[in-house]
Amino acid sequence: MNVITTKNLSKEYSSKSFSKEKILALNNFSFEVESGEIFGILGPNGAGKTTLIKILLGITHRTSGEVKIFDREISDESYKKKTGYLPENHKFPNYLTGEQVLNFFGKLSGMNSIDVKKKSEEYLKLVDMEKWKNTKIKKYSKGMLQRLGLAQSILNNPELIFLDEPTDGVDPIGRKEIRDILNNLKKEGKTIFLNSHLLSEVELICDRVAILNKGTLVKSGRVEDITALSNNYKFNTSKIEEKTLNSLLSNHKATINGSNEFSYNTGSVEELNKLIDFLRQNNVMIHSIVREKDTLENMFINLIESQN
Amino acid sequence: MIFLTLLFSTFREAIAKKIFLGFFAIATIIILVFLFLINVDSIEGMVDMMEFSGEEGVKQLVIGFEVAMINISYLLIITFCFISVSSFIPSMLEKGNIDLLLSKPVSRTKIILAKFLGGVLLIFLSLCYLIGSVWLILSLKSGFWHFPFLYSILWLTLSFAVIYALIILVGLVSQSTILSIIISFFLVFIVCPILYVREEAIFSLVSNSAVQFVINFLYNVLPKPSDINKITMNMITGEPVKTYMPVFTSLLFMLAALSVSIFYFKKKDY
Repeated sequence: MNVITTKNLSKEYSSKSFSKEKILALNNFSFEVESGEIFGILGPNGAGKTTLIKILLGITHRTSGEVKIFDREISDESYKKKTGYLPENHKFPNYLTGEQVLNFFGKLSGMNSIDVKKKSEEYLKLVDMEKWKNTKIKKYSKGMLQRLGLAQSILNNPELIFLDEPTDGVDPIGRKEIRDILNNLKKEGKTIFLNSHLLSEVELICDRVAILNKGTLVKSGRVEDITALSNNYKFNTSKIEEKTLNSLLSNHKATINGSNEFSYNTGSVEELNKLIDFLRQNNVMIHSIVREKDTLENMFINLIESQN
Repeated sequence: MIFLTLLFSTFREAIAKKIFLGFFAIATIIILVFLFLINVDSIEGMVDMMEFSGEEGVKQLVIGFEVAMINISYLLIITFCFISVSSFIPSMLEKGNIDLLLSKPVSRTKIILAKFLGGVLLIFLSLCYLIGSVWLILSLKSGFWHFPFLYSILWLTLSFAVIYALIILVGLVSQSTILSIIISFFLVFIVCPILYVREEAIFSLVSNSAVQFVINFLYNVLPKPSDINKITMNMITGEPVKTYMPVFTSLLFMLAALSVSIFYFKKKDY
């Protein structure tokens, strides 16, 4: 079942107030997000990612196209009861304490006081903010605000969670904890829509991604499908003599990483086997041969550079 | 439930900004000064003298105090309350805050109405504290329970509500606290008082009918806090109120400003 469906979604902005000049933030964008998946939206700055999230949440109005969430047109705002949102650079009223922030936004999501109190305690514990709950948030660090923001976004037990740069300002341990929380939410059947600049992170947790550039969808699919295998083979061997290493370097154009490790780039299986024969003839023991995969980051950079 | 949450958040914001604490502190000082004044010998003597000259004398003294009180309250509302509420909308519209608010299942109309009613309720309660306390002190001391003075709470709240509707509209369009304050002060301190005395101050100097038409048009369209203040004074002093037209046109202005605010807020992208 699709949780989000858009068809030919477009958004135009005026470049300046009262100006007729338009900027196309989204151009006929069509995509679907399935229930229970973690979906990542990628793109360079100004690609239209945040605009897309804002349209999906009714914060910004679309210029044209169709948007359905939970199979309903978004003009019917009731879907927001089943969604959670953590905006990029969110700003909570700084005169509130952490607990009061959750109380306020929980009630705005339609929760009753008893549920808000119960869930606040549960989620403050989950994001490791329990001991700071009575402290005014103006004293919080960026990482603490981000953790509180995450708790806020899942407080109303939403089926669909929009996260815009959720690990921004969070240290590596905190990032790992947030990833674990997101994976647990996925296990509970929640759908997560993630916008992050940390592509290594997206690669680790997303099932599918869509890449946006200048408001247009340039690629989408499962992470393992779009990070294709490269032609680079990494060899791990016994110690290689200097004479053999020199031959590898000059005749086979291998990249030597050490006396027992080198990389070899080829698109031909025959050449690969010839190299293996050469190593065996020179009494080199092969411990492993690994065909390297392109990282999401490499693929993303190559794709965007070719587009621009 | 959601509407009440928004309403109370306006209260909480006002308290957090401490300007209303300033209002309460000054109101408390005024109440204490009143309490002190009516207990000092010279005032006691004046009350005794007025009592000697009959019930009418006491009434006149009480009404005199009340008129002074209305003028003080009017100034307090303008200085403290306008400054405080002017930041409600711009701070709500700050990036990262408005996104979160609009992502919740609450209509944009309700957000504006909650901000408006929250501010109005806050001023109403503040005035109840200030005017109610002074009324109680005066009544207990003089034995003259003058209820029209209490009604002035409603009239002053109305004056505030009309200008507050404009503050909301300016805040939404400009997202600037300073501009909201400047426009409301300009209107209340300069435009409205001039238009209020337009016949004596302008028409005696300018006989051009086109200019007079424009000035009359502005008078009819814009809110009339000076007129409402005069109606309040008349009610307290017992003088007849010639017309309630300024109240109705001010109410219309308030409704128009709120409607435009809601329409603008609904259409705007954040």
